[in-house]
Amino acid sequence: MDSGFIITVAKMVGVAAVILTFILIVVMYPMIYGLRRVMAFMQSRIGPNRVGPQGLLQTPADALKLLHKEDIIPRGADRWIFTIAPILVFVPAYLVYVVIPFGKDLVASDLNIGIVYVSAVTSIAIIGIVMAGWASNNKWSLLGAFRAAAQLVSYEVPLVLAFCVPIVLAGTLSLQSIVIEQAGDVRNWFVFRAWGLGALAFGIYLAAGLAEANLTPFDIMEAESELVAGFNVEYSGMKFALFFLAEFAAAFTLSALAVTLFFGGWQAPFSFLAYPVFGIKVPETLTLLGRTVPFAAWTEHAVQFAWFFGKSLAMVFALIWVRATLPRVRVDQLMNLAWKVLIPIGLVNLVLAGFYVALK
Amino acid sequence: MLSLLKEVLYAPYSVVKGLIITIIHLFRPKVTLQYPDERWDLPENYRGIPSLPIDPKTGTDKCIACGACARICPEQIITVESETGEDKKRKLTEFKIDASRCMWCGLCVEVCPPGALVMSKEYELATDSREGMVYDREDMHRHGGTFAEESEESEESEESEESEESKESKESDPTDRTDNNLTEGAKAES
Repeated sequence: MDSGFIITVAKMVGVAAVILTFILIVVMYPMIYGLRRVMAFMQSRIGPNRVGPQGLLQTPADALKLLHKEDIIPRGADRWIFTIAPILVFVPAYLVYVVIPFGKDLVASDLNIGIVYVSAVTSIAIIGIVMAGWASNNKWSLLGAFRAAAQLVSYEVPLVLAFCVPIVLAGTLSLQSIVIEQAGDVRNWFVFRAWGLGALAFGIYLAAGLAEANLTPFDIMEAESELVAGFNVEYSGMKFALFFLAEFAAAFTLSALAVTLFFGGWQAPFSFLAYPVFGIKVPETLTLLGRTVPFAAWTEHAVQFAWFFGKSLAMVFALIWVRATLPRVRVDQLMNLAWKVLIPIGLVNLVLAGFYVALK
Repeated sequence: MLSLLKEVLYAPYSVVKGLIITIIHLFRPKVTLQYPDERWDLPENYRGIPSLPIDPKTGTDKCIACGACARICPEQIITVESETGEDKKRKLTEFKIDASRCMWCGLCVEVCPPGALVMSKEYELATDSREGMVYDREDMHRHGGTFAEESEESEESEESEESEESKESKESDPTDRTDNNLTEGAKAES
């Protein structure tokens, strides 16, 4: 093998590592900390407040603890499948970020079938979960995996039906184009358009997405009171951390997609809040450490990213809010909700959205 | 049909109601008591381990070594050792209680003629051995602290009242009292 190829691969691995670290620190950290603190506050508790100021270092401390735990593989487990499963759950959760537009030019790859890619990639995680449940050779984890398979496969349908409404309204499958279609101010966001059909689609998306991301009230696959912990009972140490991070990544993906599809993505809610904010201009170029950098373009990116990230965090807060409020549903209620409520409403909604576009 | 519609409308209503309740609680004062740093204000009739508080007038406990507590104890865990002094009065030499088998019934406290035995407010009694659970006279002095400086009669009357009170409350629901304790502590905390 020639050295150029190896260097290319090494570069790609390096970039991937940097991006993953960035996502872990910037995306996961506020989410985990926020979940623990906000949920504690909502339950009139204090939450982690011992490690570091206001408990800010609790999450790094937990990660460090998980890192140097013993890597246990149960005797009866299928070693290979047991080891591969967490990777198969972890990787797809991050693959989604390839197509999510963080800003006008801040998108790794603007695929013209972006949403199809998203729903395809997120479905891979189910295979990993079923593998984990089966390979553990534990009845609780197997039951959790069965539930997960049933839940995730049935909720994929209303989720895609909800995806379809912004697609129909925007007339494109590319996430970046969908965001650009919502340019202007709040009124142009899909959640407020088409006589409330967008809002209804968002409602379906939220319910189905909560189930897809295994968040309470739809977390029956890891129902602690029935299944101990579900498919990941036998996992410990870093393998458990991978499942944990994948779950949070999925929750953030849910928020980021909701923002992209329904809340205007990186667009500011009012045009005067987009770059240039309040008309404040920054110098076009700036000389930093002897190099000329396009400062204005950077600022624009930063403002767009801030809007996207702020909206996503607000969405995450809503998810935590729901999680702290609602009790877990039963398995049959969960299936009823998907097949008897969400899918019919989603189909009617999609047809109405089609009429809306045709009549316009 | 109408009842179904009612039920359908009730679902979002109840969800929104729940969400409002949680968001209100987000801004409410927290009820957590950061235990080793903060402690409950224990109520007056709290039942910790039986103890022998020091009488500030004599500098020692009020025990007359009658042995009534040892006899009434359902678990037979109290040992009272005494000797007859030169003035032909019994003197307490050793008092032991095995807290590992104590059930905090308070009979010894009720029966004590001079009111020397008192349920203390000590509850941190964890040790790493069974022997560590056996408390001698000095431990019981430590747990009990000192009697409040009061005149003899008023204290006695108070004691009798208190014992009657505890009898009454024993007949009533004991969980009721713990609830009161909690609310009292929470009040004190906030």
